[in-house]
Amino acid sequence: MKILIADDDRVSRRLLEKTLEREGYEVIAVDNGRLALQQLSLPDGPRLALLDWMMPEMDGPDVCRGVRTLPERPYVHIVLVTSRGSKQDIVAGFEAGADDYLTKPWDPTELTARLRVGQRILQLEDRLVEARESMRFKATHDPLTSLFNRGIIIDLLARELSRTRRENGCTVVMLGDLDHFKEVNDAYGHVVGDEVLQEVARRLLASVRSYDFVGRYGGEEFLIVLNNCDPTQATLRAEEVRNGIANRPVQTNRGPLHVTMSLGVLASRGWDLDFVEEILGVTDSALYRAKADGRNCVRLATPTAICGAPQQLVE
Amino acid sequence: MTQQDDRSSQVAVNLPELLVRVDNDRDLLRELIEIFKEEFPRLLQQLQVHIVRGDMKSVENTCHGLKGMLSGLSAMRAAAVAARLEEMGRDGNSSGLKDAVALLEREVESVLPELDASITKAES
Repeated sequence: MKILIADDDRVSRRLLEKTLEREGYEVIAVDNGRLALQQLSLPDGPRLALLDWMMPEMDGPDVCRGVRTLPERPYVHIVLVTSRGSKQDIVAGFEAGADDYLTKPWDPTELTARLRVGQRILQLEDRLVEARESMRFKATHDPLTSLFNRGIIIDLLARELSRTRRENGCTVVMLGDLDHFKEVNDAYGHVVGDEVLQEVARRLLASVRSYDFVGRYGGEEFLIVLNNCDPTQATLRAEEVRNGIANRPVQTNRGPLHVTMSLGVLASRGWDLDFVEEILGVTDSALYRAKADGRNCVRLATPTAICGAPQQLVE
Repeated sequence: MTQQDDRSSQVAVNLPELLVRVDNDRDLLRELIEIFKEEFPRLLQQLQVHIVRGDMKSVENTCHGLKGMLSGLSAMRAAAVAARLEEMGRDGNSSGLKDAVALLEREVESVLPELDASITKAES
């Protein structure tokens, strides 16, 4: 584990460095507070720190205050090392954001024991963060395919539409539905059906850019949001998605299955649609036409399919 | 007990404590003593400049560093003198400052041979 030592006294610094290396720490040693804060601000910076109270450029409590205001940084356990032993100093150190303190000259056994406490606290924090992230993932993703769930993909679409309106850009929306999926479930069972959905999800993700969004909209329906996409490319991009599904069979435990997808597509620019529901309604109409036209094809939303009145056609 | 008596009752270097702190590592001890021999004259010179300039805040800071260094080497008597100097700097009390610096120098003179001797007492 990485640990930062900040002390302007070379003897103390070297002594701490050697003691902590013996304990298996990866030590980073600096001689002033400014460099300490710099190290602790790095994304993969140390999460344990031993800071001398009095240091040039920035003292230990100031470094504590600086660390505690860093956004998006995992918790850093800070031990102030000081010869200032008054109750007032100790309270000031804690109020600045220190977690613990050691009095100089420190005892090596006490030092390592206190650092182990720090490690335990960090491990606890890691477990809490992990649990929170896992819950966040579960709350926002479909458990079968790990794609965004319906609620989140609609929120993302709304956010994206609002952004592109503000920037006068264009969002391309695709609603894809697997053709005859009920027959797969009926003929091969739901386990195979689930395998198909998982593989389709992988292929959808592979056919879009890393910053586009893909969500499971319903049973075998998927919503794809292409951010800041050239509207003239909407059909081409949808064809790529369709081909990504239809080009090769899905391998299942009941053998390879040929699966296809129909897609309705809408490029947001020029439609003057304010509500996500309207956008989805128009895109769904295009999908309906793709189904009616024989499936395994792409249909672009047109003014005749719109619920409200569009101001102009898609470019 | 007078202050003088108190000082003389303390050893210049608390060797058992120092050996525990360096984990009986002779090489480390030698390295720390070398650092101290380089640093002490430099800090002492800095201190004298601060005193001449009447910069008591810097007197406090420099003596704080000296105190930490000396206590790290378990030279507790010299560390106590450095602590007194630090306090004088903090209080802006310049009377007796030069005498205290002279005492610090004498204490460090007695520390050095003990530190050198401690190397042979460390195991490896």
